[in-house]
Amino acid sequence: MIRAEDGDLADALNSLSLPEGALVFVANSALSDGWTAVLNELTAAYELSQTAVKVGGPIVYLVEGDDLLGRRGAGRAMVACGLLSAARTLALETARAGVPVNVIAMGATTTHDALGSWVELLCGPGGPNGELIRLGADHLGKALP
Amino acid sequence: MSARIQGAAVVTGAAGGIGLAICRRLAASGATILAVDMADRLGATVADLETSGAAVIGVQADLTTASGLDAVLGSLDRTGIALRTIVNNAGITRDARLVNMPAEDFRDVLEVNLGVAHRLIELTLPRFEHGTIVNISSRAYLGNFGQFNYSMSKGALVGLTRALALALAPAVRVNAVAPGLIGTEMSMAIPEDVRERMVSAIPLGRMGRPEEVAETVAFLASDDSAYITGEVITVGGGRSLSR
Repeated sequence: MIRAEDGDLADALNSLSLPEGALVFVANSALSDGWTAVLNELTAAYELSQTAVKVGGPIVYLVEGDDLLGRRGAGRAMVACGLLSAARTLALETARAGVPVNVIAMGATTTHDALGSWVELLCGPGGPNGELIRLGADHLGKALP
Repeated sequence: MSARIQGAAVVTGAAGGIGLAICRRLAASGATILAVDMADRLGATVADLETSGAAVIGVQADLTTASGLDAVLGSLDRTGIALRTIVNNAGITRDARLVNMPAEDFRDVLEVNLGVAHRLIELTLPRFEHGTIVNISSRAYLGNFGQFNYSMSKGALVGLTRALALALAPAVRVNAVAPGLIGTEMSMAIPEDVRERMVSAIPLGRMGRPEEVAETVAFLASDDSAYITGEVITVGGGRSLSR
């Protein structure tokens, strides 16, 4: 299952070869700061993640690196940081079954090809679990989210 | 004792163990406390605080509703005292593995732990010329088995803290405190054998005290932390490092 509002990115992710039941959830980059929008976005993540977990599908949440540091508004920061914490918790719950749950923080220059390679890697067996992969360079020297 | 904390301080979740300790500590530094909670025991909390000489106003309100938020704003305006501190402490848990977590439990936890903080800040900002906001997150923002909803809400609260720290500087500083296992009524309800296992994983070898969380909140609310904003301070006895 690919959940992405950006059509080009959705196409790129849909072309990947992912395991059965995998979820790739891309945080909505056009989100407002309003509470209803934030709650709906996090609820969508909850519903799709629950579906994936029930069939043992790996999960990758994609967020913007800037949003983890609160650089582009409260709504997007709440969603990005909320997804990161959810991934860390879910990774604990799925670890015994060997199902990975990770987060990729995209940078301003991250290409769809690079993103696709990381998503395939993180959905495969034997890789990291509960980790945050930060692409690009805008996070260097800054806080660890 | 840290520097004086002037003006009014709104503290949500005031009737719980950590909330009461925060009210006591901020009052001891000079703040006028608006103690907000929906629980009936808030009356006893306010009486307790008044006995110790605190300037305190109790506001019994459900902050997930518009009328509850209005009640806080109305009480604040009636004091005539400038708002200088907000402590977003209200929180609930509804634990289950994600695979078994009902939608209602997911939304309830998000509404109380995150939505209330978000809306309270949004509504009070016009009354907030300068001051500090302290959001009570949790060490669970780093991940905690069986707490997808709680962990997500507390992580999102960290995101809110960072975004507001950037948006409101330099007039308002915004920080978060992430308590670990604290000796409150809630944690004492955990079965003793489970609690003992949890404590054994804490390098400092004990649960934290509500007063230790309150001390950190007072530090962040006072000018002693005048150069700190957008940070998360974990009060967890080293649990974030141990196995």
